Amino acid sequence: MAGGQERILRRRIKSVQATRKITKAMELIAASQIAKSQARITANRPYRDGMRRIIVEAALGDPAAAKKLLTMPEKVDSAIVLVVTGDRGLSGAYNSSVMRRAERLVNSLRIEGTDVRLYAVGKKATAFFRFRGMRVEENFIGFADRPSFADARTVAATIAAPFIDGEVQQVLLVSTNFLSAGTQTVGTRQLLPLAMPEPVLTNEPEKSKGYTEFEPEVADLLFFLAPRALESEIFSALLEGAASFHISQQRAMAAATDNADELGQTLSRIMNRARQDSITTEIMEIVGGAEALRSGK
Amino acid sequence: MATLQVEIVTPEVALWAGEATALIARSSEGDFTIMSQHTPTVGDIIPSVVRVETSEGEIAFAVHGGYFQVGPDEAEGVTRATVLAGVAERTTQIDVPRAQAAKEAAEAQLAAATRGEASDHAANLLAEAALQRAELRLQAAAG
Repeated sequence: MAGGQERILRRRIKSVQATRKITKAMELIAASQIAKSQARITANRPYRDGMRRIIVEAALGDPAAAKKLLTMPEKVDSAIVLVVTGDRGLSGAYNSSVMRRAERLVNSLRIEGTDVRLYAVGKKATAFFRFRGMRVEENFIGFADRPSFADARTVAATIAAPFIDGEVQQVLLVSTNFLSAGTQTVGTRQLLPLAMPEPVLTNEPEKSKGYTEFEPEVADLLFFLAPRALESEIFSALLEGAASFHISQQRAMAAATDNADELGQTLSRIMNRARQDSITTEIMEIVGGAEALRSGK
Repeated sequence: MATLQVEIVTPEVALWAGEATALIARSSEGDFTIMSQHTPTVGDIIPSVVRVETSEGEIAFAVHGGYFQVGPDEAEGVTRATVLAGVAERTTQIDVPRAQAAKEAAEAQLAAATRGEASDHAANLLAEAALQRAELRLQAAAG
């Protein structure tokens, strides 16, 4: 009898529908998080921009002091790569595209003879890099979805320590840049030495808007300001990463929900045909039986 | 008209932005007041109460350390003053009982440290910072 097949199909449809409910719920949750995380980026922008302006101003004020802190050494023996990913999967290519970019970066640095230390934000990174035989020095977990400034400070303190001690000469960041709700791109940026806009690095004598006063002295100011600027940059990167994660997850879950819809439809069509078939067969049997009875009378 | 635009921002939120007549704060070199047409300046702010004077009265913020920048804005005749603080809040939004509780907890920790009972150096440093913050909050809320 075809009833067995029908039962199997019914069970599969149920399971597809249950999965659809989950993906739909995740889609809605991610969508609600998008607005929040975008608002946090907007709220952070004035601080980030203000911090960048101050650093530029200070660097212009005393190029000699700035040079020591902010210019690249001739040769980079050792570098840190900080990777910002998410804590959770089911978010499309969000995690893997960042990690793949980081892997390429690490490989190319190693070919150049630079020793690389990996630091990562997000649960997925350790497993990914361990599988490729790369050790993650420290993995920051638990705040990728909703980073606070205190989290950024922890990360900044951890990666700044080897730089200050002179163990590494460069700190690079691989993360997702949130350009708009429609566009997010994976990017690599230099965190330390602090990235400076061109006129400061080339040290052109004065395009500055004039004389700026400093209290205390620029050198002292820069010494304490630099860590704050690093925290600010990392915090912005974490916020942009979180927003990109939610968008990526929303998109992935919307696609999964659509797929579940389609699969459910296909399955119920097959099931209906199977049911019709079995009904037709049954009627044929009854009719056949009645005919046989009548003719046998 | 020469005007002064003041911004008080933290990493999490832009606390206040608007036109003001003066910005009064304390740097490591001493108290200062910034008005329109002030010389371009960059400096630090030690934990203290920052006051913004506007035509509608004074607004006070408890700033737990930060930096400030003063300079001419792109718009003609506008001076822009930005205060960047890791942690800051409007004095009217300070939760006094909470600050009081934080102060007592920090003092207890530090008292234990001086008796030699709490040897966790990091925890003691945190308690010291927490005590400073709590004291500034209480002082700011008192006006």
